[in-house]
Amino acid sequence: MSERRFMAWALPRGVGMPPGPGLTVGVGGAEIQYLDADAGWIRSLTESLGESSGPIVARPAREIAAVLGLVGRRFLDPNDPLREEALRLLPPTAGVSREMAEAVLDGMATDWTEARLSAMATTEFGSVGALDRFVAHGDGRTLVVGPKLSFQIVSGSVPGVSVNAMLRSLMVKGPTLVKPGRGDVVLPVLFARALREADPVLADSVAVVYWPGGRESLEDGAMSSASVVTAYGSDAVVTALRARAPVSTRFVAYHHRLSAGVVGRRALAPDAIDAVVGDVARAVAMFDQRGCVSPHVVYVEEGAAIDPPAFGTLLAAALRALEDELPGGSLEAVEASAVHQVRGTAELMAASGSGVEVHHGGGASWTVIYDPSPAFSPSCVGRVVRVKPLPRLSVLARLIAPFGAHLQTMGVAGVGDDDLESLAEALGRVGVSRVAAFSEVPFPPSTWHHDGGGPLRDFVRYVDLEGT
Amino acid sequence: MERFDQLASGLEASFSAGVADPWTDDEFSSAAMKVFRYQFEHNSTYRRFCEGRDRGPDSVQDWVDVPAVPTRAFRHLDLVCGDPSQAEAVFRTSGTTGDGGPRGRHLVPRLSLYDASLLPAFKAYLLPDLDRINFVSLIPPPTALPDSSLSHMVGAAAQRYATEATWAVDGSGAIDAQALGNAIAAARASHAPVLLLGTAFAFVHALETPAATLGPLPDGSRIMETGGFKGRARELPRDELYARLAAATGVSAARIVNEYGMTELQSQLYEPVLAGEPFGCGHVPPPWLRVRALDPTTLEGQPEGESGILSFFDLANAGSVAHVLTEDLGAVSEGRVFLAGRAADAEPRGCSRAMDDLMTAAGFR
Repeated sequence: MSERRFMAWALPRGVGMPPGPGLTVGVGGAEIQYLDADAGWIRSLTESLGESSGPIVARPAREIAAVLGLVGRRFLDPNDPLREEALRLLPPTAGVSREMAEAVLDGMATDWTEARLSAMATTEFGSVGALDRFVAHGDGRTLVVGPKLSFQIVSGSVPGVSVNAMLRSLMVKGPTLVKPGRGDVVLPVLFARALREADPVLADSVAVVYWPGGRESLEDGAMSSASVVTAYGSDAVVTALRARAPVSTRFVAYHHRLSAGVVGRRALAPDAIDAVVGDVARAVAMFDQRGCVSPHVVYVEEGAAIDPPAFGTLLAAALRALEDELPGGSLEAVEASAVHQVRGTAELMAASGSGVEVHHGGGASWTVIYDPSPAFSPSCVGRVVRVKPLPRLSVLARLIAPFGAHLQTMGVAGVGDDDLESLAEALGRVGVSRVAAFSEVPFPPSTWHHDGGGPLRDFVRYVDLEGT
Repeated sequence: MERFDQLASGLEASFSAGVADPWTDDEFSSAAMKVFRYQFEHNSTYRRFCEGRDRGPDSVQDWVDVPAVPTRAFRHLDLVCGDPSQAEAVFRTSGTTGDGGPRGRHLVPRLSLYDASLLPAFKAYLLPDLDRINFVSLIPPPTALPDSSLSHMVGAAAQRYATEATWAVDGSGAIDAQALGNAIAAARASHAPVLLLGTAFAFVHALETPAATLGPLPDGSRIMETGGFKGRARELPRDELYARLAAATGVSAARIVNEYGMTELQSQLYEPVLAGEPFGCGHVPPPWLRVRALDPTTLEGQPEGESGILSFFDLANAGSVAHVLTEDLGAVSEGRVFLAGRAADAEPRGCSRAMDDLMTAAGFR
């Protein structure tokens, strides 16, 4: 296998490869080799996964968490060759720098440990054991039942998201077929292979198969066999899939989301500003801004010692400095093109006397646009952030409301405890599902209500046993 | 405006020599630098933009170094030399070919310069063998869509080259099946060849409208197809659309000419299939328009034949901004443009269509 060619699949035992010669797609500096699957082969794959339902259901959930955690931990162990392999393969396939690959892997794999997986189950079901047996529920009892098979289509924006998806299904004892996006093929395949070594029986409940998005016959074949479909991606992708999902299949949509931030007066003082600006820069830069948690717009409260344009200047300096610690990766042509459009347009707006100010990294894609218009206006990926003035905290919800259906996290700094709950409630009522300190923005905790839902509950059904 | 009239008249005279003979690099460069100097001096926003990049008519030696304006800027600014209120026309982007946000606007101070550019190319690539032809258009007439540059183009061409013109759609794009049927029946009765014009979207719509007849068209007919080759979702792959169009009209797929243009440019490019070249032979710009493919990261020119972001220096844009950086991807080889199709490699990753989704959701369409 060539150093830069990655075989983007991991299959249960007993499932042969499709007869075709295998196909490749170039991404960044690497070649991804993938199976020439057809609908018939997908059917045999989903049948095999469905047959694994018996063994996985028979396993105690705590044991599943332990095995998955054992594998997950390997990605955090600096002496483990699996981590090294991941770090070697991520930059060319995901378009991120080596430093970014490390930061992303550290952040993501923290969720892949036994403690985190158990905590997630406990948060959602009251106990891990609730996945194994009936537990008290009102006057009777209830049992949590995972899907016979889940089919998960994950966008390639952020490496590791498809592993999260895989683990969620396995935690509720649901065999899963994961179709990762092009930028996220490495980690789920490595995870599934390592799971095969650790626990071949459990690994029979996982398949990871990449194909270029939009192959309807493959998607439809998999959707017709699955009891739960989760789709991560752009609105167009999710809409198209949802329209074709069978009525009896539960469809969980993680459509396009983005995030924003707000910096209140308390943080806009000389002694507090450096830490805040550093955290904001890091939140913007993480995943090269491809994450749904990545802020695109930062509102800065007016009337403090450091005014919004000055904040923009400081944020630019922080992003410039971060290029050393966490260098930007390589953008795809359409992404890079969008950066040039946004940047050039902002420069022209600045030249037109509109009060816009532009700072950017030249060959590095980071860009800060101070825009005196407070109207919410998303940027693009690649560390491109708009700084906007906020007359007072109470108007923020109204400003973001038009985009509420697509907003996810609001990073926050410098807002007093007295105001925080009322601000969070106002933002939540227009669509935001998470308000967090900027330092925590990139990696939500295990108790996270992903897009406002329950990431494990979305997979399960309850079976109620009433009476005594 | 005297100076602009002088500049524009000179360009119009040059354009009138037609598209057959290429301009030398020196000829193009000297005209381009004149246009740059004029725009630098008469558009203060553009001048400050250039100064911000340390570029001006005295420091720039080569037209490729003239700062290019991104197409998205047309949504926010009146990028015109002189007084915007004096523009003879304002053309707006459709709002379906960009990636969302407010519609772009291109202010045109002098329509005669626009027409001087569009007519010779239209003639050369659609009517190389005929002086006039019967136009049947699925593109709305300029009276119905006065802010559409495409409607203006077809209207101007019809005025010059049409024996008669049938506008078989209204401003909303609804097909007038009766007018279409009558026009085609009359053409068939008189054996008069037809130029059928439409966007890919309009053709798909017509093919799926049972009452709409597209043929058979008389011998010598041809089709101009445009739009929908800018990386946007198409209802049909291009070869399939052409096969279905050929079946419905009797016009061979080899006589379907793809036009590539955009509101932000006053010149258009065509695939020269009527000159006997094959499908996919590349789009040819007129000699007063030069195209480069740029490295997506550095914006440096790509080697011949290598794909990149397309930028256009259009002398017909003398009254607005001539150097335009687009979001279209493609390669340039021997001056021709090869637009990137929707290959697997061009599969947008993650959130590249994000703005689209967001703007649609927020009601910006």
